[in-house]
Amino acid sequence: MLILTRKIGEGIILGDDIRISIMEIRGKQIRIGIEAPPEVVVLREEIYQRIQEENLRAAGVRDVDLTEIAKIWKQKKD
Amino acid sequence: MAPDPQKTPVDPGSATIATKNFGDIVVRDDQVITFSPGLLGFSEFHRYVLIEHGQESPFLWLQSLEKSDLAFVVMDPLYVLPDYQVGPINGIQKELEVKSLQDLKVLVILTIPPGRPQDMTANLMGPLLINLANRRGKQLVLESSPYSHKHRVLPAKG
Repeated sequence: MLILTRKIGEGIILGDDIRISIMEIRGKQIRIGIEAPPEVVVLREEIYQRIQEENLRAAGVRDVDLTEIAKIWKQKKD
Repeated sequence: MAPDPQKTPVDPGSATIATKNFGDIVVRDDQVITFSPGLLGFSEFHRYVLIEHGQESPFLWLQSLEKSDLAFVVMDPLYVLPDYQVGPINGIQKELEVKSLQDLKVLVILTIPPGRPQDMTANLMGPLLINLANRRGKQLVLESSPYSHKHRVLPAKG
């Protein structure tokens, strides 16, 4: 892991088009500014993991009997 | 080896794709949905096709064209929550080059626990947005929304 020391207002460049800057330090919290192209996914790590894990779980469904679920769905509606 | 004539698509704008759930399917170029970036956790897969489950069923399959056993069950979130909203979408509209909001399709992925379909949940926090006009899609993550990534779809038994 690369470890750098930065002051408020200073930045870090990742590749050609991603810039991370330190906006504010308040006690144990740091505000970080991120400038990145729209196709780059920028998320808090715990949120990213939550969605990623849910995607993996959803994809793990094998030969699911969707017809059965559709039947339950229909009963629910009726 | 010579290609099997029965499996060779006649239309040059289509391709035969092997899938685990549906066997070999013929997919036309204009049916292919491209997710860029790919779904979180599946960033290496970009090309999918939507397959209707049935006339009476609200469910659809989102089948990967690059991995035969990768398929998600998806549905319109309005079936789950009639007032569901993804929030401000100016950025994504621009990114997917959405010209008319009618072209923008929102779907959510369902998680179906093995053997307990009644307990299926919808990921309302990570909806899929698809521009039906150019078939470009993206999974959004609604960080500051009230929606759960595990929203129960059917009432609990009993």
